[in-house]
Amino acid sequence: MAYLRLRQLVKSYDGKSNAVDRVSIDVERGEFITLLGPSGSGKTTTLLMIAGFETPTSGGIELDGRNLVARKPYERNVGMVFQNYALFPHMTATNNVLFPLKMRGFPKHEIGARAEQMLGLVGLRRFADRYPRELSGGQQQRVALARGLVFNPDVLLLDEPLGALDKNLREQMQVELKRIHREVGITMIYVTHDQTEAMTMSDRIAVFCNGKLEQVGSPLDVYNRPANRFVGEFVGDSNFFAGRADPARPGWIQLSGLGPVRIAGDLPAGEVDVMIRPERLRLQRPDEGDGMDNLIDLIVDDTINYGDSVLVIGKTRGLPLRARLSSKDGAALGPGAALPLAWAPADAHVLARR
Amino acid sequence: MVRYVPLVLALLAAIFLVAPMAIIVPMSFSKAISFEFPPPGYWTGYYAQYFSSHSWLEATANSFIIASGSMALTLIAALPAAFGFVRHRFYGKSVLNLVMLVPIIVPAVVSALGYYSFLSPLRLVGTHAGMILAHSVLSIPVAFLVITAALKGFDRNLERAAMSAGAGPLRTFLWVTMPVLRPGILIGALFAFLHSFNEAVVAIFIAGRDASTLPKKMFESIRLESDPVIAVVSTLLTGAVLLGVLLSLFVRKRPASR
Ligand SMILES: Nc1ncnc2c1ncn2[C@@H]1O[C@H](COP(=O)(O)OP(=O)(O)OP(=O)(O)O)[C@@H](O)[C@H]1O
Ligand SMILES: [Mg+2]
Repeated sequence: MAYLRLRQLVKSYDGKSNAVDRVSIDVERGEFITLLGPSGSGKTTTLLMIAGFETPTSGGIELDGRNLVARKPYERNVGMVFQNYALFPHMTATNNVLFPLKMRGFPKHEIGARAEQMLGLVGLRRFADRYPRELSGGQQQRVALARGLVFNPDVLLLDEPLGALDKNLREQMQVELKRIHREVGITMIYVTHDQTEAMTMSDRIAVFCNGKLEQVGSPLDVYNRPANRFVGEFVGDSNFFAGRADPARPGWIQLSGLGPVRIAGDLPAGEVDVMIRPERLRLQRPDEGDGMDNLIDLIVDDTINYGDSVLVIGKTRGLPLRARLSSKDGAALGPGAALPLAWAPADAHVLARR
Repeated sequence: MVRYVPLVLALLAAIFLVAPMAIIVPMSFSKAISFEFPPPGYWTGYYAQYFSSHSWLEATANSFIIASGSMALTLIAALPAAFGFVRHRFYGKSVLNLVMLVPIIVPAVVSALGYYSFLSPLRLVGTHAGMILAHSVLSIPVAFLVITAALKGFDRNLERAAMSAGAGPLRTFLWVTMPVLRPGILIGALFAFLHSFNEAVVAIFIAGRDASTLPKKMFESIRLESDPVIAVVSTLLTGAVLLGVLLSLFVRKRPASR
């Protein structure tokens, strides 16, 4: 059975709309799971309920088979790291990390060594005696991490912990955080609205929209097989085309405005959305492919050169289309250029229209 | 030329503020039997008089008792009020906010009269308790304002962090909320103490003989006898207040507080 279970969790602040709407997730012990979603989608609210700072309107939270909801935050063994760090300004780094140990009654002879070890783990031993305002943002976040981990919580909740850091530091901290997760093996629930961060760090991603859980799955699952159009558009760059599966022609879908295309796999019947990731489109070469590829023409409007690749933005027969090409293929494309592109039947993902 | 104008203005202001002290301090060492400036000669006789005068010492003790009591009462009332106000919604909140501020607006003489007619049926005129109550009426709103401002800027995630660290409400309050709010609370307390310590108008109305404070005694003595001991008391008072303010500044600068 799962370690942490959210069952049909609902939270309504105003009694009218649900900030969190019937969310069910099973989290395994030691897992790193990310709650991903746009602003206001209920990620923080979900964390606050797990931590005990908000009471669910209905639904249940179980940890290791025991009901958590009835317990006060300080009776739960749940750590939390906040976006704004929330370090105690009147305590040194060491005292911040010692605080949970003192409050939770760890043996006196043990706590000093434990705090020191934890500050070592986050690489801050040298700054142990500094006050929070004498530390940089990244260092403060490390202290907050150490404080959240030091008492060996059942679950560590992280609410956009890297949101306030610049890009380089952010990426460095992502790597660091993953290393720490591997070393301590504590179950972590991570909140972000940055999909790249979610992709690179998580064992699984839970995608939120308007308080509802849209999909839970591994990063690749969510990326390659989004459960619906929202997930497909939110996670990564995408092209969507409306279409219709014709039962008389299995393996083909009629795209409106574009004509029939070949698609691999089982197809739903009726109205569908077809998603093609921009990086799955490639420049068509006469001698390449097995003759099964679908062809599509892109009229260039604009290009964005990322150095390692080029995003080509344009239209195909009046419909918007984006393709990500290698920097070699994408170099020197001007507006108005016509690009012949190809994609394989297995590269599309088909969603039944709801 | 123009760029010296602010400097000159600042100097004038400083002289204006410090001038009374420049006169009072020499006068406290003066030999004159009444006020006279510049002093005809110097001695410390009036200091000796102050420290051997029963009535002056009693007034000093009263002042300290009443100021401390007023400070305590102010905190006891203003702290919970500020918390209730900032953290909860209730009906009539904005009206109450205005009512809280009335004591700051009403002229001292008017409120003094009010206290007198209110406290005398309770037999509190001329008592320490009466003085403490009366002085707190003004310092509670001021402390309330200061603490409310501090509390509005208080990051509630700090309390959440403390609770998830295992601290219950009481320990969270003692170890996190209070220390972080300490500067605001200290300023409120300091104001309450100094206000009570310096206040003369209300004291003249309701302190009576038994609860007479230093400002009241000074006022009477200058009216009745022009006694140069007043210069001594003024010097001591100003010195004490200055020391208190410096001390509180020092406390705020320490890294332990914000
Ligand atoms: N204390 C509150 N009182 C009333 N409504 C709230 C409260 N906290 C959050 N909400 C509402 O609940 C919804 C979900 O908010 P939540 O903070 O969980 O979103 P989020 O996914 O964390 O967003 P963000 O990425 O911006 O942090 C929002 O519509 C928000 O306005
Ligand atoms: Mg949030």
